Amino acid sequence: MTYVVTESCIRCKYTDCVDVCPVDCFREGPNFLVIDPDECIDCAVCVPECPVNAIYAEDDVPGDQQSFIKLNAELSPDWTSITKSKPALPDADEWKDVKNKLDQLVK
Amino acid sequence: MLHSPIEADAVIIGAGPVGLFQVFELGLLEIKAHVIDSLPEAGGQCIELYPDKPIYDIPAVPVCTGRELTQNLLKQIEPFGAQFHLGQEVRTLEQQADGRLLIGTSQNQFFLSKTVFIAAGVGAFQPRKLSLEGLEALEDKHIFYHVKHPEQFSGKKIVICGGGDSALDWALFLVEKVASVTLIHRRDDFKAAPKSIAKMRELCASKKMQLLIGQITSYEVQDDRLKEIVVTDIDGNTQLLPVDDLLIFFGLSPKLGPIAEWGLNIDRKQLTVDTEKFQTSIPGVYAVGDINIYPGKKKLILSGFHEAALAAFAAAAYLNPEKQIQLQYTTTSPKLHKALGVSSPTFE
Repeated sequence: MTYVVTESCIRCKYTDCVDVCPVDCFREGPNFLVIDPDECIDCAVCVPECPVNAIYAEDDVPGDQQSFIKLNAELSPDWTSITKSKPALPDADEWKDVKNKLDQLVK
Repeated sequence: MLHSPIEADAVIIGAGPVGLFQVFELGLLEIKAHVIDSLPEAGGQCIELYPDKPIYDIPAVPVCTGRELTQNLLKQIEPFGAQFHLGQEVRTLEQQADGRLLIGTSQNQFFLSKTVFIAAGVGAFQPRKLSLEGLEALEDKHIFYHVKHPEQFSGKKIVICGGGDSALDWALFLVEKVASVTLIHRRDDFKAAPKSIAKMRELCASKKMQLLIGQITSYEVQDDRLKEIVVTDIDGNTQLLPVDDLLIFFGLSPKLGPIAEWGLNIDRKQLTVDTEKFQTSIPGVYAVGDINIYPGKKKLILSGFHEAALAAFAAAAYLNPEKQIQLQYTTTSPKLHKALGVSSPTFE
């Protein structure tokens, strides 16, 4: 199994999750993070770190977020590894409660 | 080379904390165990991922590191003389006609055991691969994830990838013995012994070694040999580099691997067990620790210890169906004192 980053992360990218990952499996894009499903060991440490509850176990991803399972797998090979947290995107707080923002994702 | 199988009463797959404690619980019931692990040393995740991180939830141990926990467990199981088979991954598990289980490892070592305890956590730790199409064909020929025979690189143009101790140690070791060494890391930040980093910088400054910051993005093959690689830096600039052999040290990552193919019932990549015996869908095969799943399962080391105790009792009954298995206490039982190799206290 793997954990999956879902929509809430888009345009926020708080990055608290990456500091706690024991296997460095987060990958960073311009305005979103993903988890490399081949590296994630299912330890769940990152879940409570996310201030916007964007991370779910693969089997618990909400119905309307299912496409993110594939998206994490597709984007992780091309995005670079991120292992240390950094400041969130400048307008993260304005975007954190916005729903249906998949169209905002920059690949 | 094929070895004749080792006959055993119990084989434990995984030398993490739960696998080690399984040795203890079996030992008290006078069952000797063999332990197999893919890592070169015992400890599993505790050694590979958290050697220096404190653990606070081991009962009666207010705090200990992953390494200390491993060392204490090894000390605790010493009386039972378990045989360790490290640095090899279990590939196959097949039930034989007589009910015994045939286990085969990556080093062609076979075991014929009456019981098996799978304490494999999240799987066997394996080297992270460089993910470029078609590279597998060159593995162990011109692309290496571990080095067995360093002399084979003499006179060759060597490229080493990675930013940890393994990458730097091999770069420093090989630099005088090969035609050239180029170290490639995705950023100019190394997680290795400061002394090795300083030495590497010194060698680069004196042009004895080359350091490139970037990633390998493609490669060229000629006559089944590696010819050159393309290194792309963070700004997208590419550079061609001639190479004979490529050594890759991207660290280790656990993979469930072949366990999924042993015909055991699996739910969410974990082995389903009952909570009386922690037995899998194959009789005599038990699963303990993070690898198992049952209603209410919590992935805690202490849960694994409990599971190991009950699995050991179940195995004892399975191995000796005629025999009544008594629960004995290490404080008072002369029989257990004998097993532990300690003298029984005398009371006056």
